[in-house]
Amino acid sequence: MTEIVFIDAKWEGIISLEDKLKNYLQKNKISSIALFASVQFSDADNFIKELEKINIKVYITKAKRTSKPMQILGCDAYHNSFHEDIISKSDAILYLGDGYFHPKALLLAQIKGQKIKPVIMWNPISKTLEILDEKIILEQMKKYKRNLKMFINAKSIGILVTIKPGQNYLMTAKRLKEFLEKQGKKAYIFIDNNLDLRHLENYPFIDAWVNTACPRIGTDDIVNIKQPLINIKEAGNPVKALEELEFRK
Amino acid sequence: MYKLEIEKVIEEIKQRKATQVLIQLPDGLKPKANVIIDSIESKTDAKAFLWLTDCFGACDLPLGLDILKIDLMIQFGHNRYWKDKEW
Repeated sequence: MTEIVFIDAKWEGIISLEDKLKNYLQKNKISSIALFASVQFSDADNFIKELEKINIKVYITKAKRTSKPMQILGCDAYHNSFHEDIISKSDAILYLGDGYFHPKALLLAQIKGQKIKPVIMWNPISKTLEILDEKIILEQMKKYKRNLKMFINAKSIGILVTIKPGQNYLMTAKRLKEFLEKQGKKAYIFIDNNLDLRHLENYPFIDAWVNTACPRIGTDDIVNIKQPLINIKEAGNPVKALEELEFRK
Repeated sequence: MYKLEIEKVIEEIKQRKATQVLIQLPDGLKPKANVIIDSIESKTDAKAFLWLTDCFGACDLPLGLDILKIDLMIQFGHNRYWKDKEW
Protein backbone atom coordinates (compact mmCIF):
# COMPACT_ATOMS: atom_id res chain seq x y z
CA MET A 1 0.00 0.00 0.00
CA THR A 2 1.34 3.42 -0.96
CA GLU A 3 1.96 5.69 2.02
CA ILE A 4 1.21 9.42 1.78
CA VAL A 5 3.12 12.43 3.10
CA PHE A 6 2.15 16.09 2.77
CA ILE A 7 4.62 18.97 2.55
CA ASP A 8 2.94 22.33 3.33
CA ALA A 9 5.40 24.38 1.21
CA LYS A 10 5.03 27.41 3.44
CA TRP A 11 6.07 30.85 2.25
CA GLU A 12 9.65 31.65 3.31
CA GLY A 13 8.94 35.26 4.26
CA ILE A 14 7.49 36.80 7.41
CA ILE A 15 3.99 38.26 7.22
CA SER A 16 3.88 41.74 8.69
CA LEU A 17 1.26 44.46 8.92
CA GLU A 18 2.31 46.83 6.16
CA ASP A 19 1.21 50.48 6.18
CA LYS A 20 -1.02 49.99 3.15
CA LEU A 21 -3.16 47.41 4.97
CA LYS A 22 -2.91 49.15 8.35
CA ASN A 23 -4.14 52.43 6.85
CA TYR A 24 -7.04 50.68 5.09
CA LEU A 25 -8.18 48.99 8.30
CA GLN A 26 -7.91 52.18 10.33
CA LYS A 27 -9.55 54.36 7.68
CA ASN A 28 -12.52 51.98 7.58
CA LYS A 29 -12.71 51.86 11.39
CA ILE A 30 -12.39 48.08 11.49
CA SER A 31 -12.08 46.91 15.08
CA SER A 32 -12.48 43.16 14.64
CA ILE A 33 -11.41 40.72 11.96
CA ALA A 34 -12.16 37.15 10.94
CA LEU A 35 -8.73 35.97 9.79
CA PHE A 36 -8.19 33.21 7.21
CA ALA A 37 -5.19 32.07 5.16
CA SER A 38 -4.11 29.42 2.72
CA VAL A 39 -1.77 26.90 4.34
CA GLN A 40 1.30 28.61 2.82
CA PHE A 41 0.56 31.75 4.86
CA SER A 42 -0.92 30.25 8.01
CA ASP A 43 2.08 31.03 10.26
CA ALA A 44 0.90 34.50 11.19
CA ASP A 45 1.59 34.93 14.93
CA ASN A 46 3.65 38.05 14.37
CA PHE A 47 1.01 39.55 12.07
CA ILE A 48 -1.77 38.87 14.61
CA LYS A 49 0.24 40.58 17.37
CA GLU A 50 0.66 43.63 15.13
CA LEU A 51 -3.11 43.76 14.52
CA GLU A 52 -3.80 43.50 18.23
CA LYS A 53 -1.33 46.30 18.90
CA ILE A 54 -3.57 48.67 16.91
CA ASN A 55 -6.60 47.42 18.88
CA ILE A 56 -8.03 45.10 16.27
CA LYS A 57 -9.59 41.97 17.74
CA VAL A 58 -8.62 38.91 15.71
CA TYR A 59 -10.98 35.94 15.50
CA ILE A 60 -9.76 32.58 14.26
CA THR A 61 -11.67 29.36 13.69
CA LYS A 62 -11.10 25.96 12.16
CA ALA A 63 -12.83 25.16 8.90
CA LYS A 64 -14.26 21.63 8.80
CA ARG A 65 -12.00 20.02 6.24
CA THR A 66 -8.72 21.70 7.18
CA SER A 67 -6.02 20.47 9.54
CA LYS A 68 -5.33 23.69 11.37
CA PRO A 69 -7.18 26.80 12.60
CA MET A 70 -7.20 29.85 10.29
CA GLN A 71 -6.60 27.73 7.20
CA ILE A 72 -9.27 27.89 4.48
CA LEU A 73 -9.91 25.46 1.62
CA GLY A 74 -11.98 26.05 -1.49
CA CYS A 75 -14.53 23.42 -0.43
CA ASP A 76 -15.24 25.04 2.95
CA ALA A 77 -17.80 27.20 1.17
CA TYR A 78 -20.93 26.68 3.30
CA HIS A 79 -22.33 28.70 6.20
CA ASN A 80 -21.76 25.70 8.48
CA SER A 81 -18.22 25.01 7.24
CA PHE A 82 -16.64 26.55 10.33
CA HIS A 83 -16.47 25.48 13.97
CA GLU A 84 -17.41 28.99 15.04
CA ASP A 85 -19.26 31.65 13.05
CA ILE A 86 -16.56 34.31 13.27
CA ILE A 87 -17.66 35.93 10.00
CA SER A 88 -20.93 37.24 11.50
CA LYS A 89 -19.33 38.67 14.60
CA SER A 90 -16.42 40.45 12.90
CA ASP A 91 -16.36 43.86 11.24
CA ALA A 92 -14.41 42.44 8.31
CA ILE A 93 -12.93 39.30 6.79
CA LEU A 94 -9.21 39.28 6.08
CA TYR A 95 -7.57 36.66 3.88
CA LEU A 96 -3.82 36.11 3.63
CA GLY A 97 -2.68 34.52 0.39
CA ASP A 98 -2.78 34.79 -3.36
CA GLY A 99 -5.42 33.84 -5.95
CA TYR A 100 -9.22 33.95 -5.75
CA PHE A 101 -10.14 30.28 -5.22
CA HIS A 102 -9.86 30.24 -1.42
CA PRO A 103 -11.24 33.72 -0.59
CA LYS A 104 -14.21 33.09 -2.90
CA ALA A 105 -15.20 30.25 -0.55
CA LEU A 106 -15.63 32.90 2.17
CA LEU A 107 -18.14 34.77 -0.02
CA LEU A 108 -20.00 31.59 -0.99
CA ALA A 109 -20.27 30.65 2.69
CA GLN A 110 -22.38 33.78 3.20
CA ILE A 111 -24.92 33.43 0.38
CA LYS A 112 -27.80 32.49 2.65
CA GLY A 113 -27.36 35.65 4.72
CA GLN A 114 -28.94 39.04 3.97
CA LYS A 115 -25.58 40.71 3.49
CA ILE A 116 -22.36 39.32 2.03
CA LYS A 117 -19.32 40.85 3.73
CA PRO A 118 -16.49 41.47 1.27
CA VAL A 119 -13.12 39.80 1.77
CA ILE A 120 -10.05 41.98 2.24
CA MET A 121 -7.30 40.10 0.43
CA TRP A 122 -3.72 40.75 1.48
CA ASN A 123 -1.02 39.17 -0.64
CA PRO A 124 2.11 38.98 1.59
CA ILE A 125 4.40 38.36 -1.40
CA SER A 126 3.40 41.23 -3.68
CA LYS A 127 2.22 43.30 -0.67
CA THR A 128 -0.97 44.17 -2.50
CA LEU A 129 -4.43 44.78 -1.16
CA GLU A 130 -7.61 43.82 -3.00
CA ILE A 131 -11.26 43.79 -2.02
CA LEU A 132 -13.23 40.80 -3.20
CA ASP A 133 -16.97 41.43 -3.04
CA GLU A 134 -20.17 39.63 -4.03
CA LYS A 135 -19.93 40.82 -7.65
CA ILE A 136 -17.56 37.93 -8.35
CA ILE A 137 -20.21 35.31 -7.42
CA LEU A 138 -23.39 37.01 -8.72
CA GLU A 139 -23.41 35.34 -12.14
CA GLN A 140 -22.87 31.95 -10.51
CA MET A 141 -25.71 32.50 -8.07
CA LYS A 142 -28.09 33.53 -10.84
CA LYS A 143 -27.19 30.44 -12.85
CA TYR A 144 -27.49 28.24 -9.75
CA LYS A 145 -31.05 29.45 -9.13
CA ARG A 146 -31.94 28.72 -12.76
CA ASN A 147 -30.32 25.26 -12.42
CA LEU A 148 -32.33 24.47 -9.27
CA LYS A 149 -35.56 25.34 -11.09
CA MET A 150 -34.60 23.11 -14.03
CA PHE A 151 -33.58 20.29 -11.69
CA ILE A 152 -36.95 20.40 -9.92
CA ASN A 153 -38.74 19.91 -13.26
CA ALA A 154 -36.25 17.40 -14.71
CA LYS A 155 -37.36 13.83 -15.37
CA SER A 156 -33.99 12.31 -16.20
CA ILE A 157 -31.05 13.03 -13.88
CA GLY A 158 -27.33 12.36 -14.29
CA ILE A 159 -25.34 11.96 -11.07
CA LEU A 160 -21.59 12.62 -11.33
CA VAL A 161 -19.16 10.69 -9.10
CA THR A 162 -15.38 11.00 -9.03
CA ILE A 163 -12.93 8.25 -8.07
CA LYS A 164 -10.70 10.81 -6.29
CA PRO A 165 -10.45 9.46 -2.71
CA GLY A 166 -11.11 12.79 -1.00
CA GLN A 167 -14.14 13.62 -3.14
CA ASN A 168 -15.71 10.22 -3.68
CA TYR A 169 -19.37 9.92 -2.64
CA LEU A 170 -20.63 6.86 -4.50
CA MET A 171 -22.73 5.64 -1.58
CA THR A 172 -24.47 9.02 -1.35
CA ALA A 173 -24.98 9.01 -5.13
CA LYS A 174 -26.64 5.58 -4.94
CA ARG A 175 -28.92 6.82 -2.15
CA LEU A 176 -29.83 9.88 -4.22
CA LYS A 177 -30.63 7.71 -7.27
CA GLU A 178 -32.99 5.62 -5.14
CA PHE A 179 -34.57 8.75 -3.64
CA LEU A 180 -35.12 10.36 -7.06
CA GLU A 181 -36.55 7.20 -8.57
CA LYS A 182 -39.06 6.96 -5.73
CA GLN A 183 -40.24 10.39 -6.89
CA GLY A 184 -40.82 9.04 -10.40
CA LYS A 185 -37.64 10.44 -11.96
CA LYS A 186 -35.01 8.32 -13.71
CA ALA A 187 -31.39 8.64 -12.52
CA TYR A 188 -28.07 7.47 -13.98
CA ILE A 189 -24.71 7.47 -12.19
CA PHE A 190 -21.63 8.51 -14.20
CA ILE A 191 -18.11 7.81 -12.84
CA ASP A 192 -14.78 9.42 -13.83
CA ASN A 193 -11.60 10.85 -12.30
CA ASN A 194 -11.58 14.50 -13.42
CA LEU A 195 -15.17 15.60 -14.02
CA ASP A 196 -14.75 17.42 -17.31
CA LEU A 197 -18.16 19.01 -17.90
CA ARG A 198 -17.61 19.25 -21.66
CA HIS A 199 -18.58 15.57 -21.81
CA LEU A 200 -22.10 16.23 -20.54
CA GLU A 201 -23.26 17.12 -24.05
CA ASN A 202 -22.78 13.49 -25.08
CA TYR A 203 -25.80 12.50 -22.98
CA PRO A 204 -28.75 14.44 -24.44
CA PHE A 205 -31.26 12.22 -22.56
CA ILE A 206 -30.21 13.85 -19.25
CA ASP A 207 -32.33 16.89 -18.28
CA ALA A 208 -30.25 17.95 -15.24
CA TRP A 209 -27.05 16.92 -13.46
CA VAL A 210 -25.99 16.49 -9.83
CA ASN A 211 -22.35 16.86 -8.83
CA THR A 212 -21.20 14.80 -5.83
CA ALA A 213 -17.49 15.75 -6.06
CA CYS A 214 -15.83 19.09 -5.20
CA PRO A 215 -18.67 21.55 -4.43
CA ARG A 216 -16.87 24.28 -6.37
CA ILE A 217 -17.73 22.42 -9.60
CA GLY A 218 -21.35 23.31 -8.81
CA THR A 219 -20.55 26.99 -8.32
CA ASP A 220 -17.51 28.06 -10.34
CA ASP A 221 -17.83 25.74 -13.34
CA ILE A 222 -21.57 26.03 -14.08
CA VAL A 223 -21.18 29.38 -15.80
CA ASN A 224 -19.23 27.67 -18.59
CA ILE A 225 -21.87 25.06 -19.50
CA LYS A 226 -25.46 25.24 -20.68
CA GLN A 227 -26.65 22.04 -18.99
CA PRO A 228 -28.22 22.60 -15.55
CA LEU A 229 -26.04 21.22 -12.74
CA ILE A 230 -26.50 21.44 -8.97
CA ASN A 231 -24.49 20.13 -6.03
CA ILE A 232 -25.46 17.03 -4.04
CA LYS A 233 -26.15 19.13 -0.90
CA GLU A 234 -29.14 20.76 -2.59
CA ALA A 235 -30.39 17.69 -4.48
CA GLY A 236 -32.31 16.26 -1.51
CA ASN A 237 -34.47 19.35 -1.12
CA PRO A 238 -34.04 21.67 -4.12
CA VAL A 239 -37.24 23.59 -3.32
CA LYS A 240 -35.85 24.62 0.08
CA ALA A 241 -32.49 25.50 -1.50
CA LEU A 242 -34.27 27.69 -4.04
CA GLU A 243 -36.31 29.45 -1.35
CA GLU A 244 -33.11 30.21 0.57
CA LEU A 245 -31.64 31.92 -2.48
CA GLU A 246 -34.81 33.48 -3.88
CA PHE A 247 -34.37 36.82 -2.10
CA ARG A 248 -31.02 37.31 -3.81
CA LYS A 249 -31.44 39.10 -7.17
CA MET B 1 10.07 31.52 -2.34
CA TYR B 2 8.23 28.56 -0.79
CA LYS B 3 9.91 26.12 1.61
CA LEU B 4 10.40 22.81 -0.19
CA GLU B 5 11.53 21.14 3.05
CA ILE B 6 13.92 18.87 1.15
CA GLU B 7 15.47 17.61 4.41
CA LYS B 8 12.05 16.50 5.66
CA VAL B 9 11.36 14.81 2.31
CA ILE B 10 14.68 12.91 2.48
CA GLU B 11 14.02 11.95 6.11
CA GLU B 12 10.53 10.61 5.29
CA ILE B 13 11.93 8.51 2.43
CA LYS B 14 14.78 7.08 4.53
CA GLN B 15 12.62 6.46 7.59
CA ARG B 16 10.04 4.56 5.56
CA LYS B 17 12.74 2.77 3.53
CA ALA B 18 10.82 3.79 0.41
CA THR B 19 12.26 2.52 -2.84
CA GLN B 20 9.94 4.24 -5.33
CA VAL B 21 8.55 7.71 -4.64
CA LEU B 22 6.01 9.77 -6.55
CA ILE B 23 6.03 13.57 -6.20
CA GLN B 24 2.78 15.48 -6.85
CA LEU B 25 3.03 19.27 -7.14
CA PRO B 26 0.57 22.14 -7.53
CA ASP B 27 1.20 24.22 -10.66
CA GLY B 28 3.11 26.94 -8.78
CA LEU B 29 5.75 24.45 -7.63
CA LYS B 30 6.06 22.44 -10.87
CA PRO B 31 8.99 24.56 -12.14
CA LYS B 32 10.94 23.38 -9.05
CA ALA B 33 10.26 19.70 -9.73
CA ASN B 34 13.80 19.05 -10.94
CA VAL B 35 15.28 20.40 -7.70
CA ILE B 36 13.16 17.97 -5.67
CA ILE B 37 13.85 14.93 -7.86
CA ASP B 38 17.61 15.67 -8.12
CA SER B 39 17.83 15.98 -4.32
CA ILE B 40 16.00 12.72 -3.71
CA GLU B 41 18.07 10.82 -6.24
CA SER B 42 21.36 12.17 -4.94
CA LYS B 43 20.60 11.77 -1.23
CA THR B 44 18.65 8.51 -1.14
CA ASP B 45 18.58 5.20 -2.99
CA ALA B 46 14.96 5.71 -3.99
CA LYS B 47 13.77 6.18 -7.53
CA ALA B 48 11.71 9.37 -7.81
CA PHE B 49 8.91 10.11 -10.27
CA LEU B 50 6.65 13.08 -11.01
CA TRP B 51 2.87 13.19 -11.39
CA LEU B 52 2.36 15.09 -14.63
CA THR B 53 -0.96 16.88 -14.25
CA ASP B 54 -3.55 17.92 -11.65
CA CYS B 55 -3.04 18.51 -7.97
CA PHE B 56 -6.28 20.19 -6.92
CA GLY B 57 -5.70 19.56 -3.22
CA ALA B 58 -5.30 16.91 -0.56
CA CYS B 59 -8.65 15.57 -1.81
CA ASP B 60 -7.02 14.75 -5.13
CA LEU B 61 -4.53 11.89 -4.72
CA PRO B 62 -3.46 9.71 -7.66
CA LEU B 63 -4.90 6.19 -7.60
CA GLY B 64 -3.45 2.87 -8.66
CA LEU B 65 0.11 3.58 -7.52
CA ASP B 66 0.32 0.08 -6.00
CA ILE B 67 0.30 -1.32 -9.53
CA LEU B 68 3.56 0.52 -10.20
CA LYS B 69 4.98 -0.57 -6.81
CA ILE B 70 5.27 3.05 -5.67
CA ASP B 71 5.56 2.83 -1.90
CA LEU B 72 5.50 6.55 -1.03
CA MET B 73 3.55 9.47 -2.50
CA ILE B 74 4.52 12.98 -1.44
CA GLN B 75 2.09 15.80 -2.20
CA PHE B 76 3.37 19.37 -1.86
CA GLY B 77 1.40 22.51 -1.11
CA HIS B 78 -1.35 20.94 0.97
CA ASN B 79 -1.86 19.32 4.34
CA ARG B 80 -4.12 16.60 5.66
CA TYR B 81 -7.74 16.94 4.55
CA TRP B 82 -10.80 15.82 6.47
CA LYS B 83 -13.41 14.45 4.11
CA ASP B 84 -17.11 14.91 4.85
CA LYS B 85 -18.87 11.67 5.77
CA GLU B 86 -21.19 10.09 3.19
CA TRP B 87 -24.85 10.78 3.89
